[in-house]
Amino acid sequence: MKFACVIALSLLAGTSAVSAHHSFAAEYEGDKPVTITGTVAKIDWHNPHIYFYVDVKDAKGVVTQWKVEGYPPNMLVRQGWKKDETMKVGDTVKVFGWRARANPTQAAGRDVTFADGKKLNCGPPAGTGGQ
Amino acid sequence: MAIGIAILLAGSAIAQTQKPTLKPVPRTADGKPDLSGVWVGGGFALLFGDAELEAIKQYDAAAGRKPLPPPEPPPYKPDAEKKRQEFLARKGIDDPMARCLLSGVPRITVRPLPFEIIQQPHRVVIIYEVHHAFRFIPTDGRGHPDDMEPSYLGDSVGRWEGDTLVVDVTGFNTNTWLVGVGTFHSEKLRVTERYTRDTHDTIIYEATMEDPEVLTKPWKQYATLRLRPGERIREYECIENNEDIQRFEKLLQTDFNK
Repeated sequence: MKFACVIALSLLAGTSAVSAHHSFAAEYEGDKPVTITGTVAKIDWHNPHIYFYVDVKDAKGVVTQWKVEGYPPNMLVRQGWKKDETMKVGDTVKVFGWRARANPTQAAGRDVTFADGKKLNCGPPAGTGGQ
Repeated sequence: MAIGIAILLAGSAIAQTQKPTLKPVPRTADGKPDLSGVWVGGGFALLFGDAELEAIKQYDAAAGRKPLPPPEPPPYKPDAEKKRQEFLARKGIDDPMARCLLSGVPRITVRPLPFEIIQQPHRVVIIYEVHHAFRFIPTDGRGHPDDMEPSYLGDSVGRWEGDTLVVDVTGFNTNTWLVGVGTFHSEKLRVTERYTRDTHDTIIYEATMEDPEVLTKPWKQYATLRLRPGERIREYECIENNEDIQRFEKLLQTDFNK
């Protein structure tokens, strides 16, 4: 409810919360941030959002695969991404984002830090959507 | 890490001390302000980095731009407001946009994707990256056609009032939200848009929404449209792999809106 109200009041103001496509608040929990580190297993570079999958190994060596939602390709290129170049299967990445309501291993990604320390935004700030 | 951030911030602060160049508003051969160019009207925090957001602030200060009037909540009639609150409680799950339906006016203007305005002597054309949408806005004195069918973007007719392009939009269907979660409307919606290029890099956009079915009075909202030099309209095909509909059905089985 909190996010929906914020969005409703933002309206046309220039810096207001908007998303390319859908409501963040319906699908993700902006008060549940999550950071995962692992190996990129798969990248679906498509509309209306890209998804990439990260294999995360716990202390016991058990691997859990996370699904991360990001911007669509047309917005990623404006954030400095290039298909097949910026992120590759096998890369080690640290992803910051927020947990999904309906899937315990899915997140809305905000940024990705690559092995060389380079950090790029991969998705919108929490609470955006529905403008 | 902390030191690295401090250096980065210091570096960007130095870069930002350069005063923005203020160019005059360009004009067409007939003396009208030329609105042509690629613009964006919303989602700046999504599209721009911190340095660019700061540069925008500095540009506005240097140009003496005043803040736009603050947003006001939509003046819905009591029953309509009740319905809007239900949409809000459902966190936007009913948003036509999440189903990849074309946004209407004025919402399409503030989606976080650019659009290109092409100004011709007899008409203004707007091409939106989102939805591959376009609007033809005649400015040659003609009125609305008499065979309009209700549509997402309605029918637009423009005229110049001094340096402001005024666009009368009517003939909407009811499949769009005005702007913001749950801002539904009837087919009686009429939108008056005013585009004023107040500086070289900005347009003041004013949208007045009138709908006697659901609103108690005209609802006015503002946005700053920002010029995007070097930007081009790309492609965004929303329906390609849209998972939201299936996810929403799953969410509706839960207490996600509690």
